[in-house]
Amino acid sequence: MANKTLLVAQREFVENVRTKTFWIGILIVPLLIGASIGATALLQKLKETQRYTVLDLGGGDLLARAEREFRSGDARALFALTAKMQNAPELASLRERVGATGEGAEPTGEQMVAVYEWMQKQDPEVLGRLADLQTSKRYAFVHTDELRVDAADVDGRIQQLNQRVSKGELFAYFVFGADPEASTADFRYVSNNLTDGDLRSAYENALTRIVQKERIAKAGIPPKIAEHIQQRVEFAKKQVDASGAIADVKSENVIDKWAPVGFVYFLWMAIFSIANLLLTNTIEEKGNRTIEVLLSSVSPGQLMKGKIWGIAATGLTIVGTWVAFGLLAAWLAPQLMGGGSGMLSALFTALRNTGYLLAFVFYFLAGYLLYAAVLVAIGSVCNTLKEAQNLMQPVMMLLMVPLLSMVFVAQEPNGLVAKAMSFFPLFTPFTMMNRAGGPPATWEYVATSALLLGTIWVTMKAAGKVFRVGVLMTGNPPKLREIFGWLREK
Amino acid sequence: MEHALSLHGVTKRFGSFTAVHDLSLDVPRGCIYGFLGQNGAGKTTTIRMVMSIFHPDSGSLSVLGHRDAQEVKDRLGYLPEEKGLYKKMKTGEIVAYFGKLKGMDRSTANARAKELLTRYGLGDWIDKKCEAMSKGMGQKVQVLGTIIHEPELVILDEPFSGLDPVNRDLMRDIILDMKRQGRTVIFSTHGMEQAEQLCDYVMMIHKSRLQFAGTLASVKKGKDLGIQLDYDGDGRALKDLPGLARVNDNGKHAEIFLRPDEDPQHALRWIVDRVTVRRFDYREPSLHEIFVRTVDEANQKLAAAGAER
Repeated sequence: MANKTLLVAQREFVENVRTKTFWIGILIVPLLIGASIGATALLQKLKETQRYTVLDLGGGDLLARAEREFRSGDARALFALTAKMQNAPELASLRERVGATGEGAEPTGEQMVAVYEWMQKQDPEVLGRLADLQTSKRYAFVHTDELRVDAADVDGRIQQLNQRVSKGELFAYFVFGADPEASTADFRYVSNNLTDGDLRSAYENALTRIVQKERIAKAGIPPKIAEHIQQRVEFAKKQVDASGAIADVKSENVIDKWAPVGFVYFLWMAIFSIANLLLTNTIEEKGNRTIEVLLSSVSPGQLMKGKIWGIAATGLTIVGTWVAFGLLAAWLAPQLMGGGSGMLSALFTALRNTGYLLAFVFYFLAGYLLYAAVLVAIGSVCNTLKEAQNLMQPVMMLLMVPLLSMVFVAQEPNGLVAKAMSFFPLFTPFTMMNRAGGPPATWEYVATSALLLGTIWVTMKAAGKVFRVGVLMTGNPPKLREIFGWLREK
Repeated sequence: MEHALSLHGVTKRFGSFTAVHDLSLDVPRGCIYGFLGQNGAGKTTTIRMVMSIFHPDSGSLSVLGHRDAQEVKDRLGYLPEEKGLYKKMKTGEIVAYFGKLKGMDRSTANARAKELLTRYGLGDWIDKKCEAMSKGMGQKVQVLGTIIHEPELVILDEPFSGLDPVNRDLMRDIILDMKRQGRTVIFSTHGMEQAEQLCDYVMMIHKSRLQFAGTLASVKKGKDLGIQLDYDGDGRALKDLPGLARVNDNGKHAEIFLRPDEDPQHALRWIVDRVTVRRFDYREPSLHEIFVRTVDEANQKLAAAGAER
């Protein structure tokens, strides 16, 4: 008898593996991750260079100093390159100006000015190929002369600039006040782009540093003391490790605590999409009328079990492939990146956490079986996907809860809400996975798993009864009252 | 010899609706048995109970000598009225799959599926997907899936519906082959001619109640004889035939019943004057006539019972 269940499961598996959906399901996760990393980088690259100018009412060298300060990050990067790429011909003229430098050396003020001045004379494209110069890539300074802003009075020039902005020739322009040392209240930033404030805040930071330095000098405060006064208070991050001692918090540890959130997300996607496969599959089988032939050979129970296990095998194949991809990436990444790059390699270390992986596979299977029982019952009483969608709504709403509380539970993995949710079987797989960074006490694992498995058993029984009657029904889906009637039958 | 199928006082209700009422029936082994009745009369429900898809509310049944059809499921073949196939499966695979579900081992099922498909003219389709097939071909594949495991009792629900004449003949041959091999075949149909030509036994259900059951001869026995007439001309004239009781006029063929004591010779003479007679037969009524008459009588009885109440 079990043999027939196996036959149904086998057919279900083979048929699913042959579909496009299956291969898309397998590839979607690695592709999504790859695409999201690639797309962010691409979008950054595709951002247009923002042209801006400055109207300096003070008449001093504030503009030159502001630009130098604004682009000091790029200058530093180039300075470091002179040490790193000793033989690059493009950098020969720069090396001449700054002199010989060792790797890791700090540039002096004069060297910084030299690099900056050299930078101004270079073709931005060539520079872009040499180094990742964030500021120069995104922001291009255009002098007012170049823009032919030539009115005699300030108001006239401002009007000309306003025209350039409204025509879109200029992304933004700054107005520096007459006496920044006394007050910066008349400093202005004019742009019609209200969402991208990066340029403004970066320029603000640069100017703040310059103005502060100037005021400190004016007040006669020694620079050393000023620096001391300006120092920010920062807490050193520590944690108590397993032996009870104080230890540094490494980025791996932080990522390790957050990793379960990622696992919950994939768990949710896997359970939902694969249980959904079962739903559409059941409706299709009902729709193409194969169900009656099957029922002349197998019992409804065998058919239901066969379908559930066949699709479970499909799902496990998909999830198994994801895990394999993850492990492969975790193994390859440190070799490719030289083991250095902190965040990413920590992420892959978290991936190699066997506890997480085991929990992931267990909760996938348990969660799938629970939702499969519900969805196969729904599928069996519906004749079209549309009818099924109506019945699916309450299930979907319940399913949203663990997804929406994902971050909250990760922040308070042993809080009251997290604990309570763990004991609600429909949430158990997600919430317990979510809490894995906590981690929960052993007794909680045992109790929630027992409750979950018990619920799966009861739900399967009930689904079997609904399936038996529902699968041969045509016409309108039954009322909830009728379904409860079927459950009471022996 | 025990019967292939016996029903004793079987009743099945769905809520307040009685689909089958107190049905008793014996189907001898090795015969072809026709299940007749209008749509919704209770044929499919009866068949589903035999296949243990439904369980009767009262009464008992025995299939191939077993009280529980589950035990002999693998020795039964069933073609439901609503016929469907897995669209994405290959023809050869699906026939073999049905065989395996009936307990055949893999290699036997695969070999036999190939053999059957080839024998019935679908050899080119073995490796093609079902979705590409026409309705008639799909139906053939279904029937082959029904008989691949050489069942002792085959139940076909409306096997002829939607088939062209060539495939009808093929279906008929499959049924006759099975009878020759000593299997029992039950089929339900709306085609009275097919039932008349093929069946050893027929039964009829109307509104969930059995109306008659037995050999074709016993069903026809005692019914008044009728005139079977093939003709050319205007059939409307036949309605004025003196002594006429009923006429089923099909345009080229008519079945005519006279009142008792009327002489068919007089009728023939009268008819010859009005239409061109190609064939004239005086014999027992057709199954079609018996069917229609039974429906009429049963409805009158029900109406009378309703009026009394």
